[in-house]
Amino acid sequence: MATEQELSDFLQNIEKRAFKRTVYAVRDEDAALDIVQDAMIRLAQRYGDRPAAELPLLFQRILSNATMDWFRHQKVRNGVLRNFSDFEPAGVDEDFDLLEHLTSSHQAPGNEAEAADVAASRAQTLLLIEEEVARLPARQREAFLMRYWEEMDVAETAVAMGCSEGSVKTHCSRAVHALAKALQAKGISL
Amino acid sequence: MKTDPSSSPAGRPANADALEARFALRLTAQLEGSARQAPHDISERLRVARQQALAQARRPTAARSPERVAAPAVMPVSLGSSGAAALLQGGTAGGDDTSLWSRLGWLLPALALLLGLIGIGQWHDMESIAAMAELDAELLGDDLPPAAYADAGFSEFLKRPLDVALPAHTDEAARSEPATQP
Repeated sequence: MATEQELSDFLQNIEKRAFKRTVYAVRDEDAALDIVQDAMIRLAQRYGDRPAAELPLLFQRILSNATMDWFRHQKVRNGVLRNFSDFEPAGVDEDFDLLEHLTSSHQAPGNEAEAADVAASRAQTLLLIEEEVARLPARQREAFLMRYWEEMDVAETAVAMGCSEGSVKTHCSRAVHALAKALQAKGISL
Repeated sequence: MKTDPSSSPAGRPANADALEARFALRLTAQLEGSARQAPHDISERLRVARQQALAQARRPTAARSPERVAAPAVMPVSLGSSGAAALLQGGTAGGDDTSLWSRLGWLLPALALLLGLIGIGQWHDMESIAAMAELDAELLGDDLPPAAYADAGFSEFLKRPLDVALPAHTDEAARSEPATQP
């Protein structure tokens, strides 16, 4: 059984990655925060008494389900409020994110103009990478991020995604190829 | 990680998996750096969310026990007339009192509702009887006999406009007017 400290450490370790992954999926920071919070609460309420080793896999499943629930709710909501959706501004958040990244880069200890340029360039590169990751098909992105970012092995990823190990390998391979191609087209080399 | 060249599909470089993994890990390293530099407000909101989740994790042990304690008190009520069920669930004299009061708790409002509905029904009947009596009294007390309403000619007469219905009366009035003037 995971102690409260273990649960706290696990959540602290995973929360930012979970937030980012959810942002890539739903493209809305507020919604992503709500989803991550919901997933954390569900994990703590229902599975807080499980061993600490089981928490990562459980959390991935809960987060995926919470994200799917959000999409279902959005589908219903958009169906009801279809006539009002035209008034919502589109694409504003992306610009705002860029400015935010640039501002946070300026606050870094770099004190020279050249360092600021490098930081801005890095921030822009990061933004492009994130855009391409967000643009991946959902299953590919999920497999790619669980496999390489969460460092889960193929079997764990397959269990978390509810598919076969072969599907995980295929999704990961396609995601890597798509990302490499897209980033190469934008002149980004890692 | 699969690195055996013989197991790779035809046309795929032998070290393709390793290359893919290397590229993917470089990419996720960048993403990790991005995640770590999350804005302060995001970090704070995540921290609050984490604390709420931990508070929820603490709560169930305290929250579940009252449910278990409250269950025997609620069950006999849901069982209705089965008094034996309350006794079988370890109900003491205090438990029976609770059961009685709980039954009275929903019996009394139900009784009040029933009486109210009966009262409203009777009041409605009295109102309709009074309205009919008033109508009958007006009909019988009128100069026009009630049989006139059954006459088809009289209904036609009532449907006509006033000047068409009473031409003789208006002519007579016009004739009698000059005679009275001088």
